[in-house]
Amino acid sequence: MNKMPADISTNKTKLIRLPKDSNITRLFLTLVAIVIVAIVLKPHNFPSTSNIESIMKQLVEYGLMAFAVGITMISGGIDLSTVYIANMSGIVAGIYMRTFISPEASLSEQLMVSLVAMLIGILIGALCGIFNGILVAHFNIPAMLATLGTFQLFMGISVVISGGTTISRIPGPFTTIGNYRIFGFVPIAFVIFIIIAILLSVMMSRTKFGTRIYLVGTNAKSSKFAGINNKAVLIKVYMLAGILSSIAGLISLARVNSAKADFGSSYTMTGILIVVLGGVNPNGGFGSMTGVALAVVVLQVLSSLLNMFQNISNYYRDLIWGVALIGVLILNYMISNGKIRKLKKKN
Amino acid sequence: MNHFSIKKITKQTEFYVFLIIVALSLLIQFRSGQFFTNNNIVDLMRSMVVPSMYAICAFLAFVSTGPDVSFPLIAALSSYATIVISLNIGYKGPVIWLYVLAGVFGLLMGAFNGFILVKYKFPALIVTLGTSAIFSGVLFGVLKARRMELPSTMLEFGKSSILTVKNADSGLGSQLPSTILILVGLYIVTYLVLNYTIVGRGVYAIGGDEVSAERAGFNVKMIRFGVFCANGVVASIAGMTYSSMTQFALPNEFSGAEMTVIAAIILGGTRITGGVGTLKGTLLGTFLIVMVANSLILLGIPVYWQRVFTGLIIIVGTAISVRKSSGSVKKSLKAEVTSK
Amino acid sequence: MNYNILSVKNIKKSFGGVNALKGVDLQIKKGEIHCLAGENGCGKSTLIKVISGFYTHDDGDIEIDGQNYPTITPSEAIKAGIQVIYQDFSIFPNLTVLENLALNQVISQKKKLVNKKEFRDIAEKAVRKINFEVDLDARVETLKVADKQLIAISRALLDDAKLVIMDEPTTALTKKEINNLFKIIENLKKNGVTILFVSHKLDEVFEISDSITILKNGENVISCPVSEMNEKKFAYYMTGREFAETNVSANTQMSDVIMEVSHLSASGFEDVSFKLRAGEILGISGQLGSGRTELALSLFGMLKPTSGEVKVDGKTVQINSVKKAQKLGIALVPEDRLTEGLFMPQSIKRNITVTRLNDFSNKLGFLKDQQIDSESLKWIKEIHITTENDELPASTLSGGNQQKVVVSRWLSNSPRIMILNGPTVGVDIGAKYDIHALLRNLAISGMAIIIVSNDASEVISTCNRVLVMHAGRIISELSGSDLSEKSLIEAFI
Repeated sequence: MNKMPADISTNKTKLIRLPKDSNITRLFLTLVAIVIVAIVLKPHNFPSTSNIESIMKQLVEYGLMAFAVGITMISGGIDLSTVYIANMSGIVAGIYMRTFISPEASLSEQLMVSLVAMLIGILIGALCGIFNGILVAHFNIPAMLATLGTFQLFMGISVVISGGTTISRIPGPFTTIGNYRIFGFVPIAFVIFIIIAILLSVMMSRTKFGTRIYLVGTNAKSSKFAGINNKAVLIKVYMLAGILSSIAGLISLARVNSAKADFGSSYTMTGILIVVLGGVNPNGGFGSMTGVALAVVVLQVLSSLLNMFQNISNYYRDLIWGVALIGVLILNYMISNGKIRKLKKKN
Repeated sequence: MNHFSIKKITKQTEFYVFLIIVALSLLIQFRSGQFFTNNNIVDLMRSMVVPSMYAICAFLAFVSTGPDVSFPLIAALSSYATIVISLNIGYKGPVIWLYVLAGVFGLLMGAFNGFILVKYKFPALIVTLGTSAIFSGVLFGVLKARRMELPSTMLEFGKSSILTVKNADSGLGSQLPSTILILVGLYIVTYLVLNYTIVGRGVYAIGGDEVSAERAGFNVKMIRFGVFCANGVVASIAGMTYSSMTQFALPNEFSGAEMTVIAAIILGGTRITGGVGTLKGTLLGTFLIVMVANSLILLGIPVYWQRVFTGLIIIVGTAISVRKSSGSVKKSLKAEVTSK
Repeated sequence: MNYNILSVKNIKKSFGGVNALKGVDLQIKKGEIHCLAGENGCGKSTLIKVISGFYTHDDGDIEIDGQNYPTITPSEAIKAGIQVIYQDFSIFPNLTVLENLALNQVISQKKKLVNKKEFRDIAEKAVRKINFEVDLDARVETLKVADKQLIAISRALLDDAKLVIMDEPTTALTKKEINNLFKIIENLKKNGVTILFVSHKLDEVFEISDSITILKNGENVISCPVSEMNEKKFAYYMTGREFAETNVSANTQMSDVIMEVSHLSASGFEDVSFKLRAGEILGISGQLGSGRTELALSLFGMLKPTSGEVKVDGKTVQINSVKKAQKLGIALVPEDRLTEGLFMPQSIKRNITVTRLNDFSNKLGFLKDQQIDSESLKWIKEIHITTENDELPASTLSGGNQQKVVVSRWLSNSPRIMILNGPTVGVDIGAKYDIHALLRNLAISGMAIIIVSNDASEVISTCNRVLVMHAGRIISELSGSDLSEKSLIEAFI
């Protein structure tokens, strides 16, 4: 337990304050354990650069969408539409580049168009997010239902825009840049993910906006009485979630060089699994982005390890994640029960 | 006290859903002339069978506890396992025993859900997401499920009908499948249990105030456990019915149904916080969603746009439904904070 | 009838190492109205749950109507004639009155099927016992609080209760409803039913009870007939401290009018006019439904006025948002700190500094931790919030300290006008006096304070003058020598 600092003026603060959350420690230890087991079991395949590279590449999209689900969950709601915002952004950006990039144009021109396409994609994410936010904050539709409706809506719009087809073969430098590897093996997408993870973590734990998100998620009534503008906070959170989703969509577009309306429908559930594993409380008001980031790494590493066993098909992943989710919930339950007993004794 | 006063009826959400259905059906009839044809009605009823069964699962879960999203996978896994077993042993008997076998599987899976929910009290959405993943993993990973042929008894059952109609104008024919009898049976049983047994009232009670239910003497744990076991059985029936009607085992086609079913029951007046909801509302809500999905074509709306419309209807419909249910509570309390 | 209907001796109960009851005795004579009092956390709730079988005691004897029960289950307690009416009434808001009344009995009779006629018979019998008129088919959540309570009482009486235990029954009732409740309690007494009610409200204790038992920290302090008790002794036994009525005198130095409300109307009240001076403590009293809460909300920007005008410092203002109210220097401590005031799982520090986030962050929005830490410690010290660590969640605080947190959060904003709605509801006597002293001191230092409260003694001991509201209008103003408990209570009726 934290003792009152004797002299406040010497209290140094770190930029990213790691919560004294034992959940993070547990996740970290789990990660280390899995990595050790993996290296022991598959000493030739697992620690290879190609494997690490593929882990880094694949976890980015899951991770970004998990962040989106995570911040909305902390705010007391949820975003079930992340995948479809991602798809829409990818589709629109893809169509834009296909329409406006001509093979004869110079590289810098093509680059410009690609950049505009990305900006449009992100703008779409923001707009979708704002729409979600308005439904939740202004019309008071429970987030689960609102985003259930918008996920259908966004998917539908994506179908209309794409004509039901897959948008593929994106011209221009987009895919090359998107798949670029720093130092030969670190995918640029992963770097983006890390940067975003750090920014989000800092935002949530060190800024007034982040604090407000936690407060609204803890008790929306009290936050109103405390002078917090719930509407503004929620709309911003959903907008941010939309932007995160759209970035994931753009990254996906670069990685697989295509986008379609119904891609990745299982990602939603995976996103929820990740955030709960990462320690976000489904009732709101509690959780950390660091935990979510760790959780996605743990799951991706585990997934990659399982992939190396020929007789364990991909589908086992679902099974293991399901077990992991429930296992973590039970573990958290038993641990926090012990904590509460200690607290009651003290005060 | 006049229980059927006009005022009472208009206050219910179910009434408004009914109005919307009537309005929409008139609109469709006006545009296409095809809505009130005999084969369209029969087709609609056919399309209702499986979603309505799912709706029972979603309804019972919401009223007593919270969202259950695992029922499509319980349906998939229980029916697939049954089909595989029946093919392996060369089963030639009546289809009812296959339903029973699937029911056993469904019961086990539902019991699994129920056990975790009762023992740990985690949010239903998260738990059932997890168990859904587990069932999916078992289905596709362990059982390596894929499209399969059905045993002949299921094929016959799926093709059997209790009514055949033919549209004189278009020459199109439709059959009302026998499976609708199962649906009717399920609803009757559910209705009787919910409204005429103490246990049934207990389902509503624990959704209304769990502590009060315990104090009143309800066995909250058993009731909740029972609800999820029942869900498992109903889901397995839905799975077997779906497979029979589509004439194949199609394990990949199951997931995704949960969201629209949940939207349907909310539209039908089931409260998201629990404790409130009616079977007739559930049916109406399901009918509305099915009608929209099936009839947009009749309105001349291209297939592409259908999801957009479904999404819009869900958004608008649930907004209204949510408004209505919180409105009746607000009126009784002293003026709450009204400005946002 | 002089024998004890309930006699519990030396009851011990602990939860995971915390001793809730350390050997408590309680003797209740048949046919009397017995009050069980004590500060929050003294063990009264635990004792009731032990008596009613909800908890199993670790040690001690329970004797009900002469029969000894080494252990007791809830259904045995009901069979023995004990009925508990909890503060939340244990009703099902989503079910009808009919079902709420009949279900308990039907379940205890181990019936499996619902017989609608049987339900109706039971329900009608129940409401007849206390002459309660209600629509049996209405869904309970649509009824007002007093009716919900009456449903709980009627239901309790169905089982031929010998001892009815009521836990803080008057918290959410209007004065009229409280009178009605007391009449019902008197009638029950006449019919031989014994009543145990838990309360810490002084006036109720003296008005209705025959005997009183006071607990503190899980132990008995005193049990005696109410005739041997007085207010001073009561306060002393409850808290262990001696109190003068209030040791801070009223502020007589009032200065300029800081707020002027003219013909203000909104949903819930109309045509309200008054002037508020700096340094004044203005009371607004009235029962539930009088519009007093709506008025408070309106002045804080949470309820849009439909007509009328508010002037602050002589200038007309539109208080259309909480932000605007804050800017004008208006603060509101809300009625229900559990659901409207605090963020229970969040730290005490965060709860205190929540209103100053803008001030304590830099241009990029980053929080300045040092300032937050020191602000939190400052208020903990100044207002005597008892906690050893401000990182602990607010839920670990007692009711009085929780209220102090909400108050300090607004004081941190340096308001010029502070509105407090029910500032000491559910707060133990010690903290209550602390808060009153604080408010008087604040008034002396120039703050204008509005206290919205139904607690007559609170209003009298703190306010300079009181506006009484009824059905949305101000019906009278009392001040100076006119202001007394008697005149206040009369004004309500």
